[in-house]
Amino acid sequence: MAVAPIPETRTTTSPPPTPATPGPAVEAVALRKDFGPIHAVDGIDLSLPSGRIYGLLGPNGSGKTTLIRLLTGLASATSGTARVLGVQMPSRENLAHIGYMTQSDGIYPELSVWENLSFFAALYGQTDRAALHRSLALVELDSRAGTPAQDLSGGMRRRLSMACALTHHPAVIFLDEPTVGVDPALRVQFWDHFHRLAADGATLVVSSHVMDEADRCDELLFIRDGHVLAQGTPGELRKRVGTDNLETAFLSFASQAASPRAAESAASPRETAR
Amino acid sequence: MNPLRVVAVFRRIVAQFRRDPRTVALLYLAPLAIIALLAWVLSSQQSGTANVAIVNESTSPVGLIASKLQSALSQQTGISVQPWTTDESAARQMLKDNKVDLVVILPPDFSVENPKIELLTLGLNPAGEASVLPAVQKALLGLEALANNDAPVPTIERETVYGSPDATQLDSLAPVVVGFFAYFFVFLLTGISFLRERIGGTLERLLATPVSQAEIVLGYSLGFGFFATLQVAIVLAFVLGRLGIPALGPIAAFAIGLGVPTAGNPLIAYLLVLVLGLGAVSLGIFLSTFARTELQVIQFIPIVIVPQGLLGGFFWPIGQLPSLLQPVARILPVTYAIDGLRQVMIAGADLSSPQVLLDLVVLIGIAAVFMALAAATIRREVA
Repeated sequence: MAVAPIPETRTTTSPPPTPATPGPAVEAVALRKDFGPIHAVDGIDLSLPSGRIYGLLGPNGSGKTTLIRLLTGLASATSGTARVLGVQMPSRENLAHIGYMTQSDGIYPELSVWENLSFFAALYGQTDRAALHRSLALVELDSRAGTPAQDLSGGMRRRLSMACALTHHPAVIFLDEPTVGVDPALRVQFWDHFHRLAADGATLVVSSHVMDEADRCDELLFIRDGHVLAQGTPGELRKRVGTDNLETAFLSFASQAASPRAAESAASPRETAR
Repeated sequence: MNPLRVVAVFRRIVAQFRRDPRTVALLYLAPLAIIALLAWVLSSQQSGTANVAIVNESTSPVGLIASKLQSALSQQTGISVQPWTTDESAARQMLKDNKVDLVVILPPDFSVENPKIELLTLGLNPAGEASVLPAVQKALLGLEALANNDAPVPTIERETVYGSPDATQLDSLAPVVVGFFAYFFVFLLTGISFLRERIGGTLERLLATPVSQAEIVLGYSLGFGFFATLQVAIVLAFVLGRLGIPALGPIAAFAIGLGVPTAGNPLIAYLLVLVLGLGAVSLGIFLSTFARTELQVIQFIPIVIVPQGLLGGFFWPIGQLPSLLQPVARILPVTYAIDGLRQVMIAGADLSSPQVLLDLVVLIGIAAVFMALAAATIRREVA
């Protein structure tokens, strides 16, 4: 089967965006994070223009969360640079424009839905009660405002966690596996909302290890072993390997990346076989 | 520094406490229960009856002294005296059989000119046995009456500069207990609640907001300081106050509170405990960095809390500690709090006392160091 050559997943190869703001919303240059001998993020370059939804796809342990933590400044890079909205991270001030929904719910179980939301909102300087109510309505928790978070179902906690990340209307939003445990109907609403946010100019970086969500992203980054295997729209990526299945596409990119690496392990894994 | 964010952290901690009645109960009822228990033990220990035997081996104006001693002792509260004998070995056997707690021996060479008296106890628990001694001393002082004419009397005197010789153990322990509880509970609760921030993912979430480490530490200090304040106020009120409740129907009259006398201003005592508690908040945050589970926070108790109880002047004055341990005691915050509290509550010192001021300044310094350590380690990545 003929395999289309994979272009380097450098910034230059990303499709022409709709530039809402000058410069990319999220940028990484030779970003690297080592945990001892493990290269969790192994020299990643990114340039993500604003107003789009980017999907970080890869198996567990591929480095998605570490990449997000580097981009938000929560982890310090071993080397390389991360910039969000043109500001080098970590930057505490810049966090006011960034929303981050962590993989764990990151909410206080003994506090009520409202107390959790208003606490995180206050840290972002958002004290407008009407805005908080709108956020709750969006995740369909407005009738549960007084319920302690520990009495919510897993999916409801996920929704609360998302509301906590979005009330301050961030320009760049990192969502680490946001739809885990969320029922399919609500999942559709989540994605509709993500698209509305993107249409309003926000940039979303959504990580997932399930491929069926990938098609909802404007652009995908296949991640494995701390590398970006491939980057492009879902359609482009499918076309490159000649499949209509993203999962097959991922595996194909992964095996192409693996073969030269077997020879020279960490030299330049993004180089692909022909 | 944004005060609104500090207030947000403070309010969150208050809300968390409101929803955790068991922790609130631990904070407020446990110290009261323990202090009440301590007071009960100490007070009933003092009202216990000590059995005393008198052995007279002296040949001088014999029976007279022995019987006067016997009647003087029997007038002391909490002492029951056996009729005096001349048989020392029988008295020793009574000690061994636990029939008496103390034997007073008038030795063969006892005379009005040489009023030497021997006290004999079992020696299994020297400290406990010593608790009988004050009453015996008092009785011996009363022997003046029997001393013929102007002959020397047994000179055993007891005097204290502060408080009174009649001060109970509770009176001197109470100030210490107040400070120690505040320290212990505040440390434990902040340590665990901050650890939960770390392992529950909320710290990650906090650090993804514009809140600074200093704002977090300050908000925590305000929140836990607030609850420690209430705790100290309640405990101080319980220790110092005494509220008589009149009999009502079948319920007999009783009193709430211990009514321990304080010589100084309770507000200064309170200030000392508050600064101590603020240090404990930051110490809890700092040490939570080195724990991965709640159990590991508990493991800090024998390392951090118990040595402070042993060395901080709780039981033994710093000057009586082995010389190697004295410098250790002098870097422990509890040492300064205990000293300050005793100065204030027993000696009646106020802020014009250089010693109280020194204690306060050192406590503030220690709290500041812990705060800096806590703020510096919040970001430490859990690898």
